Amino acid sequence: MSDLQKLVLALPKGRILDEAMPLVRAAGIEPEADFDNPKSRALRFSTNHPHIDIIRVRAFDVATFVAFGAAQIGIAGNDVLMEFDYPEIYAPLDLKIGLCRLAVAEPVDLAGSDDPSRWSHIRIATKYPAITARHFARRGVQAECIKLNGAMELAPSLGLCRRIVDLVSTGSTLKANGLVEIEHIADISSRLIVNRAALKTQPDELSAWIDRFREAADAA
Amino acid sequence: MTEFATRALLPAGLRDILPPQAAHEADVVTRLMASFAAQGYERVKPPLIEFEESLLEGSGAAMSKHTFRVMDPVTQRMMGVRADMTPQVARIATTRLANARRPLRLSYAGQVLRVKGSQLRPERQFGQAGIELIGADSAAADAEVVILAAKALVDLGVGEVCVDLTLPSLVPEICSGLDEIDGLKDALDHKDVAAVAAVGGAIGPILCGLVEAAGPAVPALARLSAVPLSGNAAALRERLTAVVELVSSAAPELTLTIDPVEGRGFEYHTGPAFTIFARQSAAELGRGGRYQADGESAAGATLFMDTVLDVLPGPVAVRRIFLPFGTPFAEGQALRAEGWVTVAGLEKVADDRAESRRLACGHLLVAGGVIAA
Repeated sequence: MSDLQKLVLALPKGRILDEAMPLVRAAGIEPEADFDNPKSRALRFSTNHPHIDIIRVRAFDVATFVAFGAAQIGIAGNDVLMEFDYPEIYAPLDLKIGLCRLAVAEPVDLAGSDDPSRWSHIRIATKYPAITARHFARRGVQAECIKLNGAMELAPSLGLCRRIVDLVSTGSTLKANGLVEIEHIADISSRLIVNRAALKTQPDELSAWIDRFREAADAA
Repeated sequence: MTEFATRALLPAGLRDILPPQAAHEADVVTRLMASFAAQGYERVKPPLIEFEESLLEGSGAAMSKHTFRVMDPVTQRMMGVRADMTPQVARIATTRLANARRPLRLSYAGQVLRVKGSQLRPERQFGQAGIELIGADSAAADAEVVILAAKALVDLGVGEVCVDLTLPSLVPEICSGLDEIDGLKDALDHKDVAAVAAVGGAIGPILCGLVEAAGPAVPALARLSAVPLSGNAAALRERLTAVVELVSSAAPELTLTIDPVEGRGFEYHTGPAFTIFARQSAAELGRGGRYQADGESAAGATLFMDTVLDVLPGPVAVRRIFLPFGTPFAEGQALRAEGWVTVAGLEKVADDRAESRRLACGHLLVAGGVIAA
């Protein structure tokens, strides 16, 4: 079977992977041993199903691979899905893993005197410029986003900008950096995603996998 | 930047198409138009630019944010460059051809321009070829358009053509008269059954039934028929069922799926609609469906030439023959009549065989005889 005819499952590196793997295994997909070897440089792994491969990429890239049909199925947080808003992605199943929330935060001393209803323009450091701009536009506020790829919490203390939009799970990182959550944007969890064209052209196979992941998620 | 780079660089989303692809595209369009013409669809040719109001009227409104505008210095009115040809053909049908007999069958092919490409479809200019069937509102008319568009692709050589039939007006019909439900559209768009159930309230079970009724046509229709629908919604379902039967009996080679809740990109459709895919491609090859053309019911299909060309085998190599300098015109004429492409030498060269190879000719003419180069 050629590589292009294979079904590719895209999984996000890092935090979510540890929570996702029990579901992937419960759905009956067992990657080759190299997958669990932290020293492996491989990016693509075979599985116990000869026509299914797993790729391990950055969380944001999972959505891109699936949107372009380079991977047919994947696991991605709805933060990533909201940021890109690809019409080519279906997210049929909430796996209820990777739970956290997307929130606006600012320094504790600013929060006391700040009145968000008076804002007309704010500057925000975030990994999610599209969600941020959309969120504030809905309230009539123009958000000028500074795109960062990590360590957003540093931005206010170093004077890059006063507010950030970031994922918050326990709030301890915010607290350690003297920040406080002032506005909730969305609840985040990881979803099973599928490529639209793949679901339409290989409906039986992909629906069967969605069902198996649903059973695995319900049992978890 | 070098001078070459400055001159060669094109604006984003625009490109030059070179030999042999340019001729190949024209050939594919010609074959598509011949398929359409063979079933009585007559070609129209609207202009590239027209007044904004008529271009963006009715079903054209969906294209508003994709349309380039320019001011007409003569009338001081805004004009739009077409981003989609369907509204233009609908305009022709309901104005200049208002008195032509119905049902009216029209076809078209041309280039469209969009303000912004998407990440998945970066092209801002691409070709469209399509058909519109105006003034017939029946399952037979819906099916004719689906079958013609899909079969034309099969005839071109596209393998494993898949048609996804949808009912974009079904969910609005079920929700009509109810308060807008927050998050419902998002949940339906993502096919997230759990979220639909959570936000759907009283109509949640019906909507979940519809989401779950997506898939290969036969079993999906069985599931869809079990969903309790009434009135217009039930009529839409009957219509879809009839279209599926007609399409699957006429074109059993097509993979048919249905998806009762798919609505993205079909905001102006009033009856059955469809998207055409091919197994090898993640991009849509075409889409269409039933809409209102200024009070008349119409069904149409548009094929996107860039994605169609992507899934087709490349152009067939032509047989080129080199005619050395001084070959009589009539000899070339005779070869062309046999199907050769002739390339004439414009001056005497030392080695005709080397020259024919340099000019990518597989053969050359020597003393009236064809020999391999």
